[in-house]
Amino acid sequence: MSDTLDHNEDDLLAAELALGVLEGAERTTAVHRATRDRAFARLVEEWEQRLAPWAGEIREVSPSPEVWDRISSATARNRLWHSLNFWRGSSFAAGAFAAACLAGLIYLGTFAPKQTLLATIEGGGQRHFVATIDSARGTVAVVPAAFSGDATRVPELWLIPPDGRPRAVGLLRADQTVVLTLPPELATLAKNNAVLAVSLEPPGGSTTGLPTGPVIATGKLTSL
Amino acid sequence: MDIDSNRSLIAAALNRIPAGDRPALQTVYRLTSAKLFGVCLRILGERAEAEDVLQEVYVTVWRKAADFDANRSSPMTWLIALARNRSIDRLRATRANRNMSPIEGATDVADTAASADTALESLQEHARLHGCLDGLASHERVALRGAFFDGNTYDDLAKRMNVPLGTMKSWIRRAMIKLKACLEQ
Repeated sequence: MSDTLDHNEDDLLAAELALGVLEGAERTTAVHRATRDRAFARLVEEWEQRLAPWAGEIREVSPSPEVWDRISSATARNRLWHSLNFWRGSSFAAGAFAAACLAGLIYLGTFAPKQTLLATIEGGGQRHFVATIDSARGTVAVVPAAFSGDATRVPELWLIPPDGRPRAVGLLRADQTVVLTLPPELATLAKNNAVLAVSLEPPGGSTTGLPTGPVIATGKLTSL
Repeated sequence: MDIDSNRSLIAAALNRIPAGDRPALQTVYRLTSAKLFGVCLRILGERAEAEDVLQEVYVTVWRKAADFDANRSSPMTWLIALARNRSIDRLRATRANRNMSPIEGATDVADTAASADTALESLQEHARLHGCLDGLASHERVALRGAFFDGNTYDDLAKRMNVPLGTMKSWIRRAMIKLKACLEQ
């Protein structure tokens, strides 16, 4: 190894970390160092940059659609943290927004990880929304996926239990997650195999208590 | 779509994520998940496990997008490094599924035949790296490939190529020094 002795040891360690040949305590120590030592982290990044074009040879493979659903529901839970941290650090005087986020956060904080039901609401070959129900708390968080809005109509969420009669839950948004409260009579109906459906309604939602516009997507609730 | 517009789309979307922009995360996912899944799958060799790690990767992107600095790194470099690191961590934790089939330095199978076929990395950068890899001794190139594509450790590579651990370490280190010198020319 005499010809490697004059080379910078830190740079070689960075190369080994970026290449991925280290294991055990050596890898842990190097990873840890990269989080604390800016200069070392920079060396690692430079090696990652040198090696990354090699990945061009790796064939692209589509993951199954459930992966996005899982990411979507995992990130929905900490979305408001995000907003809050962002607005806090921003120069905008957005106190009201931050307060609203905080209220939302406390609200979301009441999500117990237990008794969670998930539904991917699909229609026409598209996944429109992903809904997560906390049946203990009686809340439903609905994350838009591929849904794109309509200038004249709004998406409304319905719960359809085994009796087949849709119950209105609330209005959804194409551009952000909405958390709705399920009244106790609906919360008891939100069980495995009940269906969530989305219809397009006039602004303000259906006034008849039943969907008036087309039902564009549905999804069955399943326990997580 | 060409590489530059893809690259700036991904970089712009990554920059919007720290503000909690979910459609931006979805854009990043749409443009990059097939490549990153390919990377995870190549290292882990098993779909379910690779999908699990892919999920971790994008949840990390959501939380740590602020760490991405477009002035220092290209978005694909950052994402690929993240996917490789997560896959390697998983591989090290399970010690299963890794490719341990013997390889011999002398029978270096047509490494140069591989080509990049993606809109995500620059063909020019790929060709440049390849040119430099071609300048290495074949046993060095084979060892680097095993590390990069199979997620092998020094120890794995020493076993696969049937050489002492110390020899493998000096092969890799010398190869990395040569590679850097060539890329900096």
